[in-house]
Amino acid sequence: MDKLYRNKLAIIIFIAPAMLLFTAVLLVPICQAVYYSLCDWNALTGAKFIGLKNFEKLFTDDNTMKIAVKNSLFFMLFSAISQQVIGLVLAGLLTNIKRGRNLFKNIYYLPAVLSSAALGLLWSFLFNPKMGINQILATFGVDGPLWLMDTKGYIVLPMWMIALVALWQYVGTTMMLYMAQISGISQSLYEASYIDGANRLKSFRHVTLPLIKPMVATSLSLNCIGSLKFFDLVYNMTQGGPNHRTDVLATHLYYQGFQYFKYGYASAIGVVLLIMCLIVTFIINRCFKSENYEM
Amino acid sequence: MKKIKISTIIIYTFLVILAVFYVAPLLWVVFVSFKTNAEVMSNPFTLPAVPQWDNYFIAWTAGKLGIATLNSVIVCVVTLVLSMLIGAMAAFAIGRMRWKLSGLTMTYFLIGMMIPIHCVLIPLFVSFSNIHMTNTLVSLILPYITFSLPMTVYILVNFFRGMPGDMFEAACIDGCSIYGTFFKIALPLSKTGLFVTGLMTFVNNWNELLLAMVFISDTAKKTLSVTLTYFVGPYATNYVQMFAAIVIAVAPSIVVYCCFSNQIVDGLTAGAVKG
Repeated sequence: MDKLYRNKLAIIIFIAPAMLLFTAVLLVPICQAVYYSLCDWNALTGAKFIGLKNFEKLFTDDNTMKIAVKNSLFFMLFSAISQQVIGLVLAGLLTNIKRGRNLFKNIYYLPAVLSSAALGLLWSFLFNPKMGINQILATFGVDGPLWLMDTKGYIVLPMWMIALVALWQYVGTTMMLYMAQISGISQSLYEASYIDGANRLKSFRHVTLPLIKPMVATSLSLNCIGSLKFFDLVYNMTQGGPNHRTDVLATHLYYQGFQYFKYGYASAIGVVLLIMCLIVTFIINRCFKSENYEM
Repeated sequence: MKKIKISTIIIYTFLVILAVFYVAPLLWVVFVSFKTNAEVMSNPFTLPAVPQWDNYFIAWTAGKLGIATLNSVIVCVVTLVLSMLIGAMAAFAIGRMRWKLSGLTMTYFLIGMMIPIHCVLIPLFVSFSNIHMTNTLVSLILPYITFSLPMTVYILVNFFRGMPGDMFEAACIDGCSIYGTFFKIALPLSKTGLFVTGLMTFVNNWNELLLAMVFISDTAKKTLSVTLTYFVGPYATNYVQMFAAIVIAVAPSIVVYCCFSNQIVDGLTAGAVKG
């Protein structure tokens, strides 16, 4: 029995394909990206090593980068907070109702499995200045704002709208993760809390919340990384416009790399993005390093 | 007793209102896709007067959605099968077999979850064009498999670890080889896990946009989500066809989802969460 599981050849056969693929398509390209980010390179000329100049330019001489970083951070904070809170509340409500739980759950989760490209088109039509929501508002005599073209404010209105649509689309994922975790909690714990005189709200606060803590770290880091690298909705709703005011890191990288073909410069943006993701994951794991309870 | 009832009513009202926000836009897309352009401009929120089936026909042919759908299906199915097989093998080696570096290997795969696909976009593009692999579906399939692996491995390792050892022992006594145990015992037993990971892989890759946009420039090889973006733009006026295209793109996901939605939670509960 034991010998069977220590079979070296079998281990290598089992692990090799995944390992090779992972190294070739992930690890090696990342090392390449770090090297490219230190080069001056547009598609026509060869790569020329220039040290940290790309990063210097990124942080001192690139207004779009400033906007992109600002937007990405805003997007991450907004998504993390709103999705965690609303997802948790929904999960709490849904596990406490008797009828229609599956129906509501399926409805809320539905957009998460649909294509962001398609949903982005749908919402960009609804937020069109002349059509969609503004037409409804017009019948009430209200002049609707330019949902996706407004440029006023520190965080522009289109960015808020994109963040709201993202919340609409992805809050189901968070809800699902929490529901899965809650359904793993033993029913006897709740019965014990009811006997001790807790109502539903109290048992949620004192039984459910502490027990789902391990999930917070996972879902929060998935959430943060997902929103840092967010691309689809932004690209399909505003394409980074008007005047780059809704650019995020991913769209900036895309435009620099594949419209202006500045491979080196775009790689530098990629490296910044990677570092941000790693820092965020690190911080979350530090803050939520939680003890596991027996359930 | 009465107090509980009031709170229940409030909860249900809230849930229903929220559900309307989710369903209404999707239903509305379907309605609009059956209208004429003039109808959309004048009163977009009414039912279509006469259902315009032509919209679908034109979107399908003029938008080249047929070939795009075929490409998407090929890419997604190949990715699905390969990533499940490779992922399950790796997960079995990590979760069930005994060797020193298994913990480290697991960490190696999990790091993949933190890495945004954008970082490897340019190096991959450069490497693929050097070996003339851009513009082929393989150039999409390889990265898709790779980026599906971390989640697959993560969920399946938990599945394999949670399995009772007796089954494996029995198989061992009956003279089953290690490969036999994997294919005949471990895989069938982890059906739920395979199911969830499969669904997630399929949905993610079906919707993936950035890589598909960058790696494929040949119209005949584009995937569905990329083809959709051609309908966008501030000056696009063919709204009804755009909406028909949206419906076509979204319909398969909805069908798959409706058939299997309950298993998603089961699988998540059984696998992902225990970790």
